Amino acid sequence: MDLNLTPEQTLLRESAARFAAAAGAKMARGFRAQDASFSPARLRQAGELGWLAMLVPTSVNGLGLGLTELALVLEQAGRGLVCEPIALAAVSAAALAQGHAAHPIMERVMAGAALVVPALQESANGDDPVAPRTRAAGKGAAMRVSGRKMFVCADGAEGFLVSANGSDGPALCYVARDASGIAVSAMPTVEGRRLATLDLADAQADLIPARQSSRNAVDALHSLALIALSAELLGVMEKAHEITLDYLRIRQQFGKPIGSFQALAHQAADMHIRLAVTRSLLFQVAANNDVYRIDPVMAVALKAKASEDAMHVTQGCIQLHGAIGFTDEHDIGLYLKRAMLLSSLLGNAAAQRRRYAAIAGLTA
Amino acid sequence: MFRHDTPAEAEFRNEVRTWLEANLPAALRGRTTRPPPVELMPWYRALSRKGWIAPHWPAQYGGMGATLNEQIIMTEELARIRAPQLPGQGLNHIGPLLMEFGTAAQKAQHLPPILAGGVIWAQGYSEPGAGSDLASLATRATLQDDSFVVRGHKIWTTWAHYSDWMYALVRTDPRAEPRQAGISFLLIDLHSPGIRVRPIRTIAGDEEFSEVFLDDVRVPAENLVGRVNDGWRIANALLGHERLATSNPQFALTALEQIKTMARATGVIADPAFQDRLAAVTIDVTALAALFNHAVELTNHERSLGPESSVIKIFASELLQKLNGLLLEAAGPHALTQSPVATDFGTVDVAGSYLQSRRVTIYGGSSEIQRNILARRVLNLPA
Repeated sequence: MDLNLTPEQTLLRESAARFAAAAGAKMARGFRAQDASFSPARLRQAGELGWLAMLVPTSVNGLGLGLTELALVLEQAGRGLVCEPIALAAVSAAALAQGHAAHPIMERVMAGAALVVPALQESANGDDPVAPRTRAAGKGAAMRVSGRKMFVCADGAEGFLVSANGSDGPALCYVARDASGIAVSAMPTVEGRRLATLDLADAQADLIPARQSSRNAVDALHSLALIALSAELLGVMEKAHEITLDYLRIRQQFGKPIGSFQALAHQAADMHIRLAVTRSLLFQVAANNDVYRIDPVMAVALKAKASEDAMHVTQGCIQLHGAIGFTDEHDIGLYLKRAMLLSSLLGNAAAQRRRYAAIAGLTA
Repeated sequence: MFRHDTPAEAEFRNEVRTWLEANLPAALRGRTTRPPPVELMPWYRALSRKGWIAPHWPAQYGGMGATLNEQIIMTEELARIRAPQLPGQGLNHIGPLLMEFGTAAQKAQHLPPILAGGVIWAQGYSEPGAGSDLASLATRATLQDDSFVVRGHKIWTTWAHYSDWMYALVRTDPRAEPRQAGISFLLIDLHSPGIRVRPIRTIAGDEEFSEVFLDDVRVPAENLVGRVNDGWRIANALLGHERLATSNPQFALTALEQIKTMARATGVIADPAFQDRLAAVTIDVTALAALFNHAVELTNHERSLGPESSVIKIFASELLQKLNGLLLEAAGPHALTQSPVATDFGTVDVAGSYLQSRRVTIYGGSSEIQRNILARRVLNLPA
């Protein structure tokens, strides 16, 4: 179903679609062979277009837009297999902007001149994001954090937003990549982007205070990132589905286009249902939550659904292509791999369901 | 969850809730199967006297002329108190169809008794040889003098054994190509000579539907709705709206509560494997609420859902079955009990609810037919 958008939102979506169209499978494929996993120039371009400042309040020179605008841009980024970490940069800018005064690096993050990414995950098994094992000591700009963060998209990042357990509960800390006491070790992934482990030993950090309206800064960033990743997942599965529909219309077997066979047509219809449901859920969650005040139950439900559906759709697209879909040469595999990356970040569908059961009161 | 009442809507909701609490007899609440007319129609007429029987009918025809949001509130409050399902063929199908396609005389004759609860209507579409392939229907209507003579056999006709009238699709041109172009829409008095009705027992144990045999039944020519051979278009005119009403997430939310009640009673709620499945369906109910609200927003902006309404029909009906599957799992052997299961946490009709849910993916166009519609008309896949 179509979205009911304002003219400004439609323009934003069109502009994001143009940016995404200039990326696409060919560019994504190109970065696989390189050390850099994205183009810093294109990240700056995203900054110039205002997308990294979208969620930042106008009081600190941001655009003060909402989650719907974020979702519109990231859906397009997903469609275009955009490699620049727009989602991570935009949510990090919002997090850095939430104190009484924005963190000094925020201006550059907003402009796409510096990249800061969240470092919230501590295990593969779905952590409780508001009970991190990483510890924080000290106050304000003289914090020290110790612990280990995993699966961080650290490529090209100047700094990290690290969740830690402080004296007053969960604390969000900014740790510069070149701070003392930090070791970054990156491993390659099948997707092309590298994921890093951060080892923090009394690493120097700045406390990022929570905005008044949010319960705490860690939970706020975590929920925001879940929505951002879900929006990108939606775009990935949409485009994979479209490519597959084209193939079903063109590919002939038994003297007919294979899309005329009911077994295949019904799989395509099932994928359409999953897309439609995730799209409605994404945009309803976006319309009903504020950037700094997101209901974690809704964010978790959305990430669970988007992760599950994106995996189901993109792997189904491989199947509908047959042998050609299993080749590295065909682009459809890139969408599956992007879905594997985004669905696993901050917890896959099963991990989200575990957390959902715990926070939505389904365990007793 | 995603929809928020305006102050005026909240007031309306409160008024409906208070009135339902005070007026719906306890014996009619939480019934899994539809009570027979002798029990149900007094409630129908009570709603009618209150002026609430037809929220979606325009005021000029005696309805409430309610907004879509008010209609949704009504559906939700009725579902919340677990009110029995009313016979809807008059209110939701033939009533609105006559408003659009009926003659002045047809409207004057048929609309007031539907509102008052004086007649019950049945829908004569399916036949033994025409189920999913409805356009192959063969019940023949031949014009002789001033009457159609109707001969044939209708089946899966909900409540026909209690009904006074049946609106039916009949074949008036056996040679038409496509076959849809030889079908007309007739209003048939079920008390006419030549009609025999046989109730059919369902797997849920009730007699919710019947078959109707028509043996040279004379139907006055003025009972034709629209033009001859234009019945297919008329029958398909209002499908989208109906799909929206039956997909209200309140039904799924109610089913979710039943599962939790049963899971607490049997203790399975503590099992992490069960919790995972419960989380999955709860998330799906949230997704249905989003899908539903999205559709309502578009409808409120006068944007037609068109064939996309098949998405909601499939998702809502298959989710209801998933929920009932989980209810069965939570209940264990309690699921076999014929009467509702009483537990310390509440009473749940497990078997009845589960068995009833088997039909939702069949009626109104099976899930497979809906997927064909999506493949052809939304995804533009070749035939």
